[in-house]
Amino acid sequence: MKDPYKLLGVERGADDKAIQKAYRKLAKLHHPDLNPDKPEAEATFKDISAAYTLLSDPEKRGRFDRGEIDAEGTEQGAARNFYRDFGDRPGSGKYQSGPAFGDEDLESLLRNAFGRRPRGGFAMRGADMHYTLSVDFVDAAKGTVKRLTLPDGATLDVTIPAGLKDGQVLRLKGKGQASPSGGAAGDALIEISVMPHPFFRRDGNDVIIDLPVTVQEAVMGAKIRVPTIEGPVTLTIQPRSNSGTRMRLKGRGIAGGHQFVDLRVVIPTAAEPELEAFLATWQPQHPVDPRSAMEVP
Amino acid sequence: MMKLEAIVTRFPDLEIVELTAWIEQGWIRLESDTPAAWVFDGIDVARIELIYDLRRRLGVQEDTVPMVLSLLDQVYELRATLKAVTGALEHQPAEVRAAVVAALAGADAS
Repeated sequence: MKDPYKLLGVERGADDKAIQKAYRKLAKLHHPDLNPDKPEAEATFKDISAAYTLLSDPEKRGRFDRGEIDAEGTEQGAARNFYRDFGDRPGSGKYQSGPAFGDEDLESLLRNAFGRRPRGGFAMRGADMHYTLSVDFVDAAKGTVKRLTLPDGATLDVTIPAGLKDGQVLRLKGKGQASPSGGAAGDALIEISVMPHPFFRRDGNDVIIDLPVTVQEAVMGAKIRVPTIEGPVTLTIQPRSNSGTRMRLKGRGIAGGHQFVDLRVVIPTAAEPELEAFLATWQPQHPVDPRSAMEVP
Repeated sequence: MMKLEAIVTRFPDLEIVELTAWIEQGWIRLESDTPAAWVFDGIDVARIELIYDLRRRLGVQEDTVPMVLSLLDQVYELRATLKAVTGALEHQPAEVRAAVVAALAGADAS
């Protein structure tokens, strides 16, 4: 075995911290399970681990420094199977990260594995083209097809998947520039900007709306038509519903999300002498201080 | 096949409590939910050694381990898929293999 100091790349006088730091840096690079394609990683990892085992033990390090033992004496004993030794099983078995691949994934995988790598003799791929496209809030929520007119007059039908978010980029394979040398055409990359809606807002797949209600509706309760992205629905407001009350329209959001309705009580702005006269003399049966939690003197 | 008690004896400083926490966080996936029935086969042991290396030797923080494992699982899954594809190709007639190689080389050249 080589000089452990040289293996870890540290000075002979290095302190424990420097040695640990050097070891961790190398171990992160050379751990066999992190390098399934590099058979030599196992030997490297064992060497640096053995060097670290020796140098991190003050007694062994002292004996080594005094020449009493050589580096061989500390070779790691127990044989072990690395995770990568289980070959395909980590990927295909119970530690699979997600659902199995569809045909499309496989195609793009192979394309990425071989297709893009510029190797000798390959035809040059055409350039990717970048476009931007504005989509209405409701169109983005429900999904739609938009026609994009390209600078050269050609058109491109862009399928907007339901629930698309502002700033997302769609890639249309082969819709970019043609290859100059008979290779694959580039892709069209379309950045979507979703226009804000006058009253719908979005939080993930949930749609949120502020719903103004009159004083009568808030106090007496009411059935109110409320817009959703799929068209209006009837919502029952319970009597004595306050501003800020949030109601949920289940499944009326985007792709299984919900719509939330936040009530906002609107008081009349025009003169209402009868209401004012009533309030001037009104003695509530249950007086409340709405600011009690604020502890204002 | 090994039991929990046998696993921890393989490590100088791994307690059952910590290993149990790894399992409960889903880092190691076992057939049973009840600790008494836990058995570990070769791949589980190798995965425990990997997590042990990440935590103890490489100094990976606990909250970073799931990210590392997730990335590794994806790498191994892609490798397995690629291996399955190349394996399937090996059993194809020579002209099919040549066509695939040509298709990969020229991408959409046709």
